[in-house]
Amino acid sequence: MISERTPVARRSASVIFQCGLAVGLVAAALTATLLLQSVVSTAGFLFFYAAVVASAWFGGKWSGWLAMVLSTEAIEYFFMAPLYSFGVNRESVPILIEFAASALVVGWFSSWRRRAEAELRYARDELQLRVEERTAELQQSNRQLLAEMAERKRAEDAYYKAQSELARVIRMSAMGALAASISHEVNQPLAAVVTNADACMMWLSSHPPNIEEARAAVDAIAQQGTRASDVVRHIRAMFTKAAPERTPLQINDLIREVSLLMEGSALRNQVTVQTDLAPDLPPTLGDRVQLQQVIVNLIQNGIEAMSDVSDRSRNLLIRSRQDGSARVLVAVRDSGVGIESADEKRIFDAFFTTKDQGMGMGLSICYSIVESHGGRLWATSNDDYGVTLQFTLPADPT
Amino acid sequence: MNPADPIVFVIDDDASVRDAVKRLIASVGLRVETFGSTREFLAAKRPDVPACLVLDVRLPDVSGLEFQGELAELDFQIPIIFITGHGDIPMTVRAMKAGAVEFLTKPFRGQELLDAVQEAIAKDRTAWSERAQMAELRGRYDTLTPREKEVLKLVASGLLNKQVGAELGTSELTVKTHRGRVMEKMGADSLADLVRMSERLNSSAAKQK
Repeated sequence: MISERTPVARRSASVIFQCGLAVGLVAAALTATLLLQSVVSTAGFLFFYAAVVASAWFGGKWSGWLAMVLSTEAIEYFFMAPLYSFGVNRESVPILIEFAASALVVGWFSSWRRRAEAELRYARDELQLRVEERTAELQQSNRQLLAEMAERKRAEDAYYKAQSELARVIRMSAMGALAASISHEVNQPLAAVVTNADACMMWLSSHPPNIEEARAAVDAIAQQGTRASDVVRHIRAMFTKAAPERTPLQINDLIREVSLLMEGSALRNQVTVQTDLAPDLPPTLGDRVQLQQVIVNLIQNGIEAMSDVSDRSRNLLIRSRQDGSARVLVAVRDSGVGIESADEKRIFDAFFTTKDQGMGMGLSICYSIVESHGGRLWATSNDDYGVTLQFTLPADPT
Repeated sequence: MNPADPIVFVIDDDASVRDAVKRLIASVGLRVETFGSTREFLAAKRPDVPACLVLDVRLPDVSGLEFQGELAELDFQIPIIFITGHGDIPMTVRAMKAGAVEFLTKPFRGQELLDAVQEAIAKDRTAWSERAQMAELRGRYDTLTPREKEVLKLVASGLLNKQVGAELGTSELTVKTHRGRVMEKMGADSLADLVRMSERLNSSAAKQK
């Protein structure tokens, strides 16, 4: 590719052009000189110089040579005595040599300039080509980079999704294991109660009724009823044993921390989270972790409530206010699908859920936590879209 | 109670459930024996009478479903009624496919269990009498001498006395004597009866393999 563009290759490719050019230009110079001579007595060899220069310029070195030789011959033939013959006079020789030498120099210079220029042009073309190639390469790698970035973004999203799914599964299976173990512990005495009750009926309906066996069955029923209630009491004790800590805390700090935590989740769900926090709120007494959990759940709940919204912006507004003199209020407002007014109370029931993947535990847990802090959690439908979930907490009296 | 009366075995690790089930089944006049584990059950001396097994799925050493498989491997034939705290459909299907009579979820109604127990015992009664007959037949067969066993085999395969004699290298008369003794020992009324007995023995032997 590149070798075809070299001046050498081009020159050798058009020998005929070079010869023709030299011959033509010399002929033209001869004609012009003859014409000029018919007007002015001495015309000089200016046109021949021009022919040599032009031949060397346009046809290259060899073309210039040829033009020089032809010109010298033409001058000798037409203008040197004896005229119209190739014989050479003694006095003509220096003139011819002078012409030939100066034409040679001029031609050589011309072809040298020409070649230098051609090489320069070639170098410039080459450079331009390189630049174009390099630009194309850069554009290509830029496109690749963009694609890789998009791929990476997708992988990250998938990772986050998988992570939250995993967290959910772990939560579910931990809950499931706990539920299975509790239900087994409660179910065994219940089974015994039912079977004993049926046995008691059987013994009483036999002829004659077997009072002793019936009594034993009723006794077992009472025992097993007590056992079941013991199990339930133990479970309650197990959960309340971890008595919540009560430390003074600023609810606004908690909201800020949690909103930071939830930024990723909000971003992934194209939810804009805004906060509107009242300054100078009194501190509240509470368990930091539990209250964080409440706020996390409310925000997550709001985000998920908007996952099907596509005809309006998904906005989540978290507000804090002083509520009377002795309470603070936190409200989380979404622009989601909202709830039926009949469900406004039920959403805090355990196992109540409107989500395919939901367990119906989140809001129920929030409710218990807020309640155990001496506060209140409730839901109201917004005038336009969505729901506001809000809770109050008593201010620290000290 | 009559020692040949049917008996219900109950395996449940929870004493309260075990006792309640025992009390319930006893109320319809059935004999009940309870065990806290499958090992106890296998170690116990069990009377040879029609029986059934009420088996808890959730047991400490081996699950009830696994135990069902173990019993099948031991060729221990006993109808099983499963009781479980939380039975799911795959579990139920597996148990029923393996021949369980019923799969009850606790707490179950007494009548459901009693019905299942009656069904299981009726099922085992038939199997039990078949087993008893078979044992009787096998006992009689064991009293035959090797030569008499050979004669029985050949006669049952449809050969005439003369052919049997040729096969064994004895006279027709000797074969006749052997045959008479075989019929007597086996308690067969006719040749047809004898052939039937031979077939039953063969098929049970084949089954045991």
